[in-house]
Amino acid sequence: MNTFDFLLQGLAVAMDPMILIYALIGVTLGTAVGVLPGIGPALTVALLLPVTYGLDPAGSLIMFAGIYYGGMYGGSTTSILLNTPGESASIVTALEGNKMARMGRGGPALATAAIGSFIAGLAATILLAFVAPTVVKLALVFGPRDYFALMVLAFVTVSSAFGESARKGLISLFVGLALALVGIDQLTGQARLSFGVPQLLDGIEVTTLAVAMFAVGEALFVAARRDTADDEVIAVKGSVWMTANDWARSWKPWLRGTIIGFPIGAMPAGGADIATFLSYAAEKRMSKHPEEFGHGAIEGVAGPEAANNASAAGTLVPLLTLGLPTTATAAIMLAGFQQFGLQPGPLLFATNPQLVWGLIASLLIANFMLLVLNLPLIGLWVRLLTIPRPWLYAGILVFATLGTIGANPSPVELSMLLIFGVMGYAMRLYGYPIAPVVVGLILGPMAEQQLRRALSISQGDLWTLVGSPVSATLLALSAIALIVPLILRARGKGKVLSQLASDED
Amino acid sequence: MSGSTPQGSGATRRPDGATLVAALILAGIAVVIWRDAARLPQAGGYAGVGPADVPRWIALGLAGLSLWSLVEAFRSGKAEREAQDTGPILWIVGGLAAQLALLSTAGFSIATGLLFAATAAAFGKRNLALTVPVGITFALVVYLLFAGLLKLSLPAGPLEGLVWDLFRGAKP
Amino acid sequence: MKHTLFGALIAAALAVPAYAENYTIIAPAAPGGGWDQTARTMQEALQAEGISDTVQVQNVPGAGGTVGLAQFVAGAQGKPDQLIVGGYVMVGAILTNASPVSLADVTPIARLTGEYEAIVVPAASDIQDINGLIEALKADPGAVSWAGGSAGGADHIAVGLIAKAAGVDPTRINYIAYSGGGEALAAILGSQVTAGISSLGEFKAQADAGALRILAVSSDERIEGVDAPTLKEAGLDVALQNWRMVAAAPGITDEQKAAISADIDRMVQSKTWQDALATKGWANTYLAGADFQAQLDKDIAATGAILKDIGLVK
Repeated sequence: MNTFDFLLQGLAVAMDPMILIYALIGVTLGTAVGVLPGIGPALTVALLLPVTYGLDPAGSLIMFAGIYYGGMYGGSTTSILLNTPGESASIVTALEGNKMARMGRGGPALATAAIGSFIAGLAATILLAFVAPTVVKLALVFGPRDYFALMVLAFVTVSSAFGESARKGLISLFVGLALALVGIDQLTGQARLSFGVPQLLDGIEVTTLAVAMFAVGEALFVAARRDTADDEVIAVKGSVWMTANDWARSWKPWLRGTIIGFPIGAMPAGGADIATFLSYAAEKRMSKHPEEFGHGAIEGVAGPEAANNASAAGTLVPLLTLGLPTTATAAIMLAGFQQFGLQPGPLLFATNPQLVWGLIASLLIANFMLLVLNLPLIGLWVRLLTIPRPWLYAGILVFATLGTIGANPSPVELSMLLIFGVMGYAMRLYGYPIAPVVVGLILGPMAEQQLRRALSISQGDLWTLVGSPVSATLLALSAIALIVPLILRARGKGKVLSQLASDED
Repeated sequence: MSGSTPQGSGATRRPDGATLVAALILAGIAVVIWRDAARLPQAGGYAGVGPADVPRWIALGLAGLSLWSLVEAFRSGKAEREAQDTGPILWIVGGLAAQLALLSTAGFSIATGLLFAATAAAFGKRNLALTVPVGITFALVVYLLFAGLLKLSLPAGPLEGLVWDLFRGAKP
Repeated sequence: MKHTLFGALIAAALAVPAYAENYTIIAPAAPGGGWDQTARTMQEALQAEGISDTVQVQNVPGAGGTVGLAQFVAGAQGKPDQLIVGGYVMVGAILTNASPVSLADVTPIARLTGEYEAIVVPAASDIQDINGLIEALKADPGAVSWAGGSAGGADHIAVGLIAKAAGVDPTRINYIAYSGGGEALAAILGSQVTAGISSLGEFKAQADAGALRILAVSSDERIEGVDAPTLKEAGLDVALQNWRMVAAAPGITDEQKAAISADIDRMVQSKTWQDALATKGWANTYLAGADFQAQLDKDIAATGAILKDIGLVK
């Protein structure tokens, strides 16, 4: 009851016309910067934070929420239309979304992403308002061994969801794991595989790898095709809007994505990218049309897009209730609070309810505004694809490099963009899937660190890994996920499965 | 884990070159990782798993995949692939290299403008007299938006300096 | 309407007088982090107070600031308009990364802000005070797991110093490194580890709410509003401040150094800077000139010694 009153009060504050204009500016700026590959919501908010300094707390907060959600949204637009993920959480979106866009179904892909983001954002924000204290208690139960078990589950489900050949998928995954070794080992400070190059000490940036392999690799691959006629991109085929069938196939993934994304976002060592991987794997398993995966299955856009937005709202749970910034984005949001001399934490809900509820209401409004703004714009966005190819790809590469230069203007970073771009091209050419490389780069270090932390706490006792109910359950699930497909394959279904699976490009 | 790649069907029984090369590259990476790990102190501490252990596991995995690829290359035989043009590749790689080389001296706009023109050329717009100026103008507008408005630190060169001065001169 | 607003924003961003003492500040970290925020706050204060007309902030992230430092030493030689932000973490990073350049290669100007370390346990822990923790550490160092920031950073160094002061072999501490304060805090709150160590600011809200117990702080004097003794009071001769500083280019003349020092001094005294410190919750630990140099030399020597003791540096 109290919660509900506060929420209404917050909404009333946020409905002020001046505040709405701030929200509009926020979502517009956020979307504009968010479309840049390599510049995700965290950096967007960091860069635009000074813009909000001069405003009053309410205006500043809403603009902030607008920039944040706008930045999240912008990333999926470029993923879908240009196969250029703006950040690690929209990499999975590019897999199916871009296939859809190429078949003239960019409109429905953008629509299911927008509506899925909206619904997930709405549901997760409401969950945040009502169950945050409970969720955070559960999240704290997760120790290193439980995270390690979660990573094992992610590896098992995700690696089986990509690609046509087990060998090629595993090779891609291991290349990603190898790349993940580069840099300082976080637990001991030892430099690994950095060959004395100081810029390599921080490891390989996920966004650099993703932008290189997707955007640069794609440009090379398309340009080098002698026979380009068969690869003509169709901007719009059929309706720009979602059909009844699209709706029917989207609503369940939206809800499942929300259910996967919210708790993973709330975990201190979770993350939106992991949520999208798990959501994609789940949709592929549950879909009635698994044969469409890799060729533009709408579920593969709807689920992960809902998951990454739900996860973003999930990160607010530890931030608001514990003052725990668990992601770069949350850390920046903390800086936003500190503008007003506020320290988020267990006391914030008690001492500053107006502000907390103001923020939650702002998120709801920013979410709604993005939907209203973007749905009519979808028709315009898909026209991007009608830009003649030379100009389109030239523009893509300008923005791809701009993101890298803006985040870290070092020749080493740009050289990596070039090298991984060529690698992405070669992998496309010979049929190796791209996504597992990025998955390996993201999950590898997490799995290693959590394993070593768990063993360090237990002083080397391996039994600790199955010593908590959570870790034991997750590892058991991983074992099932690993064994069941083997049994199915042994019964002869394997051939069907591998034929249904997809080619990456 | 079925034994044949889809491209391999209907080909002759010569080993597939691309898969052989992949096997070689994987073996190479495995060796590099193994040697790097050998140099690290075995500082496992209480965990018993040190900084060199996980790299070793990954190197072993890569070595295994290398063997698998080797077997696969001989089993599946030569695969047919789409013909590729090297010209466009050289244009784009050259454009990226030019941007990399010129970025710190010529500034963002000129370096990125050249990348723009090179990419357009790769896709068939070879009229550099048109694409280079268009690219530089486009990059300059992007520069002004992101460096001016958002304070993103992008490398400035003579062209950016000129434009900054113009803006400053216009003010009292 | 949006266009005019946009135009106005561009004009505002570009509207700067032509002749000015223009500083470029290198923030050797990614946008958003502590050093970046310090650099951008300096930018704001220097411009708002008219000390410098245009200040540019350039991010050169990487390896605890040593990538930015190396670039600064190479590129700024003798240039009086170049500044770099840095901090205590850099001292350790230079040693653990075997960086080819060090703080001896730049011209340190002043320490600007600082934070003290706090040692905490979850509220449910059996350990009631710092002596209890030290006893447990002496009994079995492996059984006391410490969650804190990255290996070789201020938190790790502090644990090493505490162990050494307590007569425990610093190589035997069971230190669990986490990437950020947030993740470490979660591990402490969830009782995954025995104790935690980080900047006081990271723990303050939780301690006030009764979820954590602060056992000790690493300052010389007790800190107002914190109900915990200093490590020195507990009989451990350890004091540590995680500070942030500004340095100028190598090879500048004494006059140039004096001019920069004067500018920084004016900035630190200004209302803009003081207000910014207050809103951000940064403690003003301004220290300049020979005093700062002496403090810096002391910190570098002590850090080198303890990193060798922990076994992170040969």
